[in-house]
Amino acid sequence: MKIFSESHKTVFVVDHCPYMAESCRQHVEFDMLVKNRTQGIIPLAPISKSLWTCSVESSMEYCRIMYDIFPFKKLVNFIVSDSGAHVLNSWTQEDQNLQELMAALAAVGPPNPRADPECCSILHGLVAAVETLCKITEYQHEARTLLMENAERVGNRGRIICITNAKSDSHVRMLEDCVQETIHEHNKLAANSDHLMQIQKCELVLIHTYPVGEDSLVSDRTKKELSPVLTSEVHSVRAGRHLATKLNILVQQHFDLASTTITNIPMKEEQHANTSANYDVELLHHKDAHVDFLKSGDNHLSGSSREGSFKETITLKWCTPRTNNIVFSSISELHYCTGAYRISPVDVNSRPSSCLTNFLLNGRSVLLEQPRKSGSKVISHMLSSHGGEIFLHVLSSSRSILEDPPSISEGCGGRVTDYRITDFGEFMRENRLTPFLDPRYKIDGSLEIPLERAKDQLEKHTRYWPMIISQTTIFNMQAVVPLASVIVKESLTEEDVLNCQKTIYNLVDMERKNDPLPISTVGTRGKGPKRDEQYRIMWNELETLVRAHINNSEKHQRVLECLMACRSKPPEEEERKKRGRKREDKEDKSEKAVKDYEQEKSWQDSERLKGILERGKEELAEAEIIKDSPDSPEPPNKKPLVEMDETPPVEKSKGPVSLLSLWSNRINTANSRKHQEFAGRLNSVNNRAELYQHLKEENGMETTENGKASRQ
Amino acid sequence: MPTVVVMDVSLSMTRPVSVEGSEEYQRKHLAAHGLTMLFEHMATNYKLEFTALVVFSSLWELMVPFTRDYNTLQVVLVTDGCLGIGRGSLRHSLATHNQRGESNRFPLPFPFPSKLYIMCMANLEELQSTDSLDCLERLIDLNNGEGQIFTIDGPLCLKNVQSMFGKLIDLAYTPFHAVLKCGHLTADVQVFPRPEPFVIDEEIDPIPKVINTDLEIVGFIDIADISSPPVLSRHLVLPIALNKEGDEVGTGITDDNEDENSANQIAGKIPNFCVLLHGSLKVEGMVAIVQLGPEWHGMLYSQADSKKKSNLMMSLFEPGPEPLPWLGKMVQLGPISDAKENPYGEDDNKSPFPLQPKNKRSYAQNVTVWIKPSGLQTDVQKILRNARKLPEKTQTFYKELNRLRKAALAFGFLDLLKGVADMLERECTLLPDTAHPDAAFQLTHAAQQLKLASTGTSEYAGYDHNITPLQTDFSGSSAERI
Repeated sequence: MKIFSESHKTVFVVDHCPYMAESCRQHVEFDMLVKNRTQGIIPLAPISKSLWTCSVESSMEYCRIMYDIFPFKKLVNFIVSDSGAHVLNSWTQEDQNLQELMAALAAVGPPNPRADPECCSILHGLVAAVETLCKITEYQHEARTLLMENAERVGNRGRIICITNAKSDSHVRMLEDCVQETIHEHNKLAANSDHLMQIQKCELVLIHTYPVGEDSLVSDRTKKELSPVLTSEVHSVRAGRHLATKLNILVQQHFDLASTTITNIPMKEEQHANTSANYDVELLHHKDAHVDFLKSGDNHLSGSSREGSFKETITLKWCTPRTNNIVFSSISELHYCTGAYRISPVDVNSRPSSCLTNFLLNGRSVLLEQPRKSGSKVISHMLSSHGGEIFLHVLSSSRSILEDPPSISEGCGGRVTDYRITDFGEFMRENRLTPFLDPRYKIDGSLEIPLERAKDQLEKHTRYWPMIISQTTIFNMQAVVPLASVIVKESLTEEDVLNCQKTIYNLVDMERKNDPLPISTVGTRGKGPKRDEQYRIMWNELETLVRAHINNSEKHQRVLECLMACRSKPPEEEERKKRGRKREDKEDKSEKAVKDYEQEKSWQDSERLKGILERGKEELAEAEIIKDSPDSPEPPNKKPLVEMDETPPVEKSKGPVSLLSLWSNRINTANSRKHQEFAGRLNSVNNRAELYQHLKEENGMETTENGKASRQ
Repeated sequence: MPTVVVMDVSLSMTRPVSVEGSEEYQRKHLAAHGLTMLFEHMATNYKLEFTALVVFSSLWELMVPFTRDYNTLQVVLVTDGCLGIGRGSLRHSLATHNQRGESNRFPLPFPFPSKLYIMCMANLEELQSTDSLDCLERLIDLNNGEGQIFTIDGPLCLKNVQSMFGKLIDLAYTPFHAVLKCGHLTADVQVFPRPEPFVIDEEIDPIPKVINTDLEIVGFIDIADISSPPVLSRHLVLPIALNKEGDEVGTGITDDNEDENSANQIAGKIPNFCVLLHGSLKVEGMVAIVQLGPEWHGMLYSQADSKKKSNLMMSLFEPGPEPLPWLGKMVQLGPISDAKENPYGEDDNKSPFPLQPKNKRSYAQNVTVWIKPSGLQTDVQKILRNARKLPEKTQTFYKELNRLRKAALAFGFLDLLKGVADMLERECTLLPDTAHPDAAFQLTHAAQQLKLASTGTSEYAGYDHNITPLQTDFSGSSAERI
């Protein structure tokens, strides 16, 4: 769990002395003649890699695996040593990738066999390695800054992997002494420096490599503590693939890796495209991905130690995805996953490996099954790529401790049936998150935190948000949508204000025409409040919504002013007289009225406004009382008849429309304004539907009291 | 965490306890009393806990089993601290602990994360008079220090047993109450099982982190985008109705059943934000991202079991600024309305997730690895295959050639460049008469360039230098080809 363990900093010191130009004496056939080619051609002579080439490609493979699995916080510094030390990169994260290292190595080139061996030594590199270990990394710096007075908690440990050709055991000891001495010196220097750190722990891994077929002059030695700061181990390894194997084992030890072999991967044959054979692919990843096997002591899965690698791998079986549809397979489920670990294929360029990785990189996930001789199928892992990185997900295969929980419908609020589920769904989609990678600044120049913005938005959007359909009128009205959707915004455009005003005029118009409203009758007996009462409830609710946002901006204030002005219209009798006029005329007029009102705005006006507000509050209180107290009971089945009588026949013929689906369809906002009767039609349909539900509910409630009825 | 109660029923547990008053108690009665209290507490405040009961003396018997095995456990061992004598006794087992092999491993530490609570039907002085306490402490040590020993304060009586079990309840079985918030929409909830404190890094950040009692929703993400993230633990989020004192309605031990039922019925009919949230999360296939503390987040989602019962569930991500690489840093997530255009598209057909890392992984960037001869051979073959299809494959031929050249230069493998140059020259001589004249030109040119690079001199062996196709003009024949 330590971030700054020895694995945080790895220094590679590779010998670049003339001797390393020697051949490793392991031949590579590179000229593989294809069968049907002209006969009689002698293939070109095989070539062999130098000790240098073997060392470099093995250390690059070490880095490849490390970068694949730990792209951050595990850093490499690469040093080559000949007549001096050449530090090829730095600890910065930008320098931490294979391309940078390869380019730097190409610039160094192979060792010059004709250089003077006397000038060249691995010691230059080792000294530079100690020096570089004292240098602080970005991560150490960040942690120290964060911890302030506890900065000493940030550790400085590291590992030096030195690949060289030593002359003897005493030569090795000399190298160790040199490292120890250098650490001692540099720690003294670091103690008096702000940007250097003392080395607390250094692991020296000395790898002596020599041509195949020669006798080693150096003996292996396991890890030994040379001082409280320095431990050292010596590996004597033949060059060629033996060296690569050694570094592969080391990278697994150093970074706590484990191996999983995916078996039974169906793959099209290169030669016969219509047949497929099964392949295995070995992957490396952090060993915690196997934690369940270790815990249960379930070793029967492992045990196949692969040739040459001397290590164990756990075999998991490929489960062919149910569908090849990318979208479907990714959406399907939220698995209970206890860990996700980056992987790296052992044999990255082999055809089976690249087939598997390409399959995953295309966005498909693969479930992995434990091979069992008997019993049920146990899916324990999943391979999945996220943004071009492949992860091995550990799926929980033990039984949940949350087995057989009570259903949410059995708990608090579980018996309420008219939650605004669709509306809240819409709310959630509007409040989805997206990454803002470039820093943004507030007007005062301080850094803006996107996540705080998200919280602010939720706060604004929920200032007035009734949870159930029967608690609201305005959110059941398509006609209110243009206002309700913009009023929650932090700032409004002129167009937004105009739309809000139009919405209000539209409502005024509806009231004038005496259009029915989708007032809930749940909780009340009888036919519910009268029409003018319904409008009062609606206006009150709309005011509550707008009022919740007046402090957002001056434009919000204007919307409220418009609302208040429109509410204080002449009594309804007068309105009715005006019926028959063309709507455009009315709109023009009311718009003008608002303008006049705005121009005349004065102290007195706002006083008048206050009076209206007070009245509004009283009204609201009154409305609530009316809503909550049951009217004189009437035979419930009389209600539909009454409602139908009230519904204009023209609208009735237009057929039933679900209010919720209409409401969520915000694109139709503009149309709804032009087709006023639409809202009325909605209302009548809804009212009728609601009535039936209401009846059912009432009947249901009567029976539930006997404890028998069950909710839908 | 499920609980196993392990109860000592050996003969010593029947030792009488002198209590002021007429009735005579044995230690096992005291134990039973304490356990009754624990079980009652669980039945009211910790309803979903799974428990099992095992009794033991020299043998053991599972009285009440779990339905199955679980990941983590709490073990409550009830004993009087008389450890027995001879083979198989705890004293003997501990003394011979080092001599055990893999086959007869000591049961502690358990092979799963666990807490071991030892409830002693004895007081401290009594235990200290023998080596019992040391032995019991050894047990806790063997369980990686996870657990605690409880002893009776003062004389052995019902009251003191109660207070001992009270301490256990406070430590391990207090329900976790929180307020779930989404802006102004809120609900009182119990989070079950209780979220345990978490240590990020013992060295840098040794203080265990606990989650806030205000669970604040910060936004929403599609299930496909969050894509089965790794989590530390998951918990049911159960809406609760609190009365004025802050207790759960109808959960007091004194309440009778009828009161509880009617209270529950009333609570069922009051709209609750959890139910709304759950319903919409389920319908939309989304999760809510919830802030658990500074730099600690989790997600809320609808979870259905096999019986189609569904519930609001919360999973905790690992604490830290960036728990899921594919979402990026949590603080950098903001509302879509702040973006220039909707990152989910007007038709909801795209997504800003997953985030792409700056550097591609080795398997996604066509790296060159020649550790196995087959790797090298495949790369050489690719060049040869394209060489034979010149000039049609000129682009691919040079692409593969340059890839090999770069790797050979980085690895200092100049002999390979010479070898491939020789090979290309040989290919040139093997060209059939029907071959396009350009093929011979390109092969010769490529071979020459490789030879120059193999000298290692800086002007020809630059890593960033690419061999480009020879500019040839066969206008007549190239028109023919088209």
